[in-house]
Amino acid sequence: MKYKSTHLTLAFLIAGTLFTACMPIQKTQTSSNTTKELDGQPTNVQREMSENISENTETPTSNNRFTIEADDELKTSVAILYEAFFPDDTAMFVENGGDLVVTKTYECPDERPCILPTYLPESVMIQQSDKTDVYDFIAFAISIEGQQQLIDAGELLPQIKLDDQAGSTLEIPQPVSRVISTYGPATSFIYSVHAQDRLVSASYLGARDPKGAAVMEKMDSRFPEIMGDKFFTQTDFNVEQAAVLNPDLIVTSARTSWIEAADQLGLDVFLFNAETPERLKEAMQLTGKIFGPHSAAIADAWISYFDGSITAIQDQIAGIPEDQRVRVLFTGMDPLKVVSGDMYQTDIILAAGGISVSSELNGYWNDVNIEQVVLWNPDVIIVPPYGGASVEAITESSEWQILVAVQEGRVYQMPKLVVPWDTPAPDSVLGIVWIAQLINSESINIDCVTEAEYFYNTFYNYPITAEELAAICKFE
Amino acid sequence: MRKWIKIVISFMFLLILFVVSLTLGRYKIGTIDVLRVLFSPIYLKLANGIPDIARQLVLQVRLPRILGALFIGAGLGGSGTAFQAIFKNPLVDSNILGVTSGAGFGAALALLLMGSSLEVQISAFIFGLLAVLLAFFGSHLHKSTPLLILTLMGILIGSLFNSLTALLKYVADPLDTLPAITFWLLGSLTGITWQSLFPLAIITVLGIVFLWLIRWRLNILSLDDQEAKTLGLDPIKMKLIIIFITTLMTAAAVSVSGVIGWVGLVIPHAGRLFVGPDHKYLLPISLIFGGAFLLIIDNIARTLLPGEIPLGVLSGLIGVPILIALLRRSKTGW
Repeated sequence: MKYKSTHLTLAFLIAGTLFTACMPIQKTQTSSNTTKELDGQPTNVQREMSENISENTETPTSNNRFTIEADDELKTSVAILYEAFFPDDTAMFVENGGDLVVTKTYECPDERPCILPTYLPESVMIQQSDKTDVYDFIAFAISIEGQQQLIDAGELLPQIKLDDQAGSTLEIPQPVSRVISTYGPATSFIYSVHAQDRLVSASYLGARDPKGAAVMEKMDSRFPEIMGDKFFTQTDFNVEQAAVLNPDLIVTSARTSWIEAADQLGLDVFLFNAETPERLKEAMQLTGKIFGPHSAAIADAWISYFDGSITAIQDQIAGIPEDQRVRVLFTGMDPLKVVSGDMYQTDIILAAGGISVSSELNGYWNDVNIEQVVLWNPDVIIVPPYGGASVEAITESSEWQILVAVQEGRVYQMPKLVVPWDTPAPDSVLGIVWIAQLINSESINIDCVTEAEYFYNTFYNYPITAEELAAICKFE
Repeated sequence: MRKWIKIVISFMFLLILFVVSLTLGRYKIGTIDVLRVLFSPIYLKLANGIPDIARQLVLQVRLPRILGALFIGAGLGGSGTAFQAIFKNPLVDSNILGVTSGAGFGAALALLLMGSSLEVQISAFIFGLLAVLLAFFGSHLHKSTPLLILTLMGILIGSLFNSLTALLKYVADPLDTLPAITFWLLGSLTGITWQSLFPLAIITVLGIVFLWLIRWRLNILSLDDQEAKTLGLDPIKMKLIIIFITTLMTAAAVSVSGVIGWVGLVIPHAGRLFVGPDHKYLLPISLIFGGAFLLIIDNIARTLLPGEIPLGVLSGLIGVPILIALLRRSKTGW
């Protein structure tokens, strides 16, 4: 997260330093912990602490911890949040040079979308000084408690109406703080809009793989405790376990088999069906809306990143005629199970500027025979990073030696960090980038490492390491 | 004698079908070219000028698969006939003692442990045999009509293995192994290579030779056990040997192809409608019909659409009309 820094006036620097020095260290620690906690409880703890502090300092007014520079229409909402977070204090607005800038008119200076704390729709907070109070305040503003304050004050709606992807309309009370996800892609939607602290149980994609699980543990310390595959899957739903967890909302796939049972129990079930790029974008947008303005803003950023990446690729290959595009065969867990035209893999191959040779097929993974593959004569073969699929299963099989792609060694395995890049999840944008670089390296200027680093830092809040980048962006 | 003519004609038909099958495929190869390639291992120059791909497709892809369909179909048809005779029940096939359920479990276990296709084949074969052995030893726990208890034990062991397979499917990763297990249980001939064909061919050929040699005894065994004894045959011992041999054949077949239903149950009936209930004729015709039927089904499965059509879809759609047509025309007794 980069913020454009502006100069602080000397006076505010001095005042800021003075006030920060006056603050007991305890206070800042408590509040930074608070914002990371779940439930409503910590707010009370924090309030008690604040009261104690105000008694200690005995300066209930004009005790401004930092100054705020806000658009006029946003001043009320900022003051509400400020006074909820610092009950002993009132917000101090300045015309310019504030420690915190709150605005509706911020333009991201970077080429790729940047994510800023968004506490009301389109209203971002920009930290302009390194004061811990500013940091804590921002974290509070976009937290569940902050959302609750804004709802109580009538700045945010107490419930939102959303159509899920199976056509039913849900009225979802806000904020949503306890979510069960029984659908791996939905879990990745939630992580990538930074709402994983709302998960109480989740099914994951790619986290059964020990390497994936290790990354997940680094990404989210609560991962081992919320991994809920034991209780909740697309086919099974443990009602009693759900009752124990007392969820606000359950998110799952539209193909789930226990939807009616959950409906009868009065549980809100939100259904996703994200298996095309358009539907994936819609799913991300919906996920954002469920969790409030900040998540909604991240979802929008992801959508513009996704669209932007595809547009950039398509612009660069526009000169290549259709019949000269690279012909890609995407096969599955068994080399002779291939993707159909209905599957997401076909969409990402197309977005990356290739042609999926098996796109005439319908349904799910299709069984074909080697003759059909010979007839398609693909230039490149890609296998997925799951299901025991491997490059060797093809290159070491005698019957596959007939194929030119195999003879020339053009068989590749799609990478993944945790979520496989060929699944309808946010990570699939990297699948597109990777395929584009793989098949069009001469005509396209795109770099998997740059994009993957940006993507995981931005959307999963995960500082990906150089080794991890090297392992996922490989073309051999 | 007329029945032998029928059998010889059927066999000729099977040979023609075999050659025609070689010319069928998604990739177009002319009939003459196929024949040249087919005989090229004998006389090398025959294949001159034929593209490498065509040669490989015929010899490495089509030939093992077609032979596989023949062996599996004949094996299942022959085993089914033998089982219907010794169980005196026209509604059983060689799956009745749990061999398929055991093989299904063995395959699922190997798939779960990420086995290669050879390991899956071996595991399916071993567990198929194990299921029948369990049923066999289990039946000794009870001292009464052994065959009835054996059948009951077979059903019990079969359902036990089905439960175990369901358990494996429950713990399997829904993204990884579960689809592989489900697919294996559906049955397909896509994966047949020379390597997997080899053990199947040996076991099936030996099994067929054995059944051929004892085919006249099947008539006696399908009578009362008392009558069999008066004719100087130890019916129980004979039945156990037959069960063992046919189980080997069935396990070898399903370990390669996955679960293929229908053939073992229905082919003997088709044979009976054609040549009557005498096993002297019924067994050969069941072997031929079994092989021909599976080959026809598989030809359609692999050529009609770009994607493979599951065998289970076709066996019913094609088999039932054929059987009904035979039923209408035939006047033979059972």
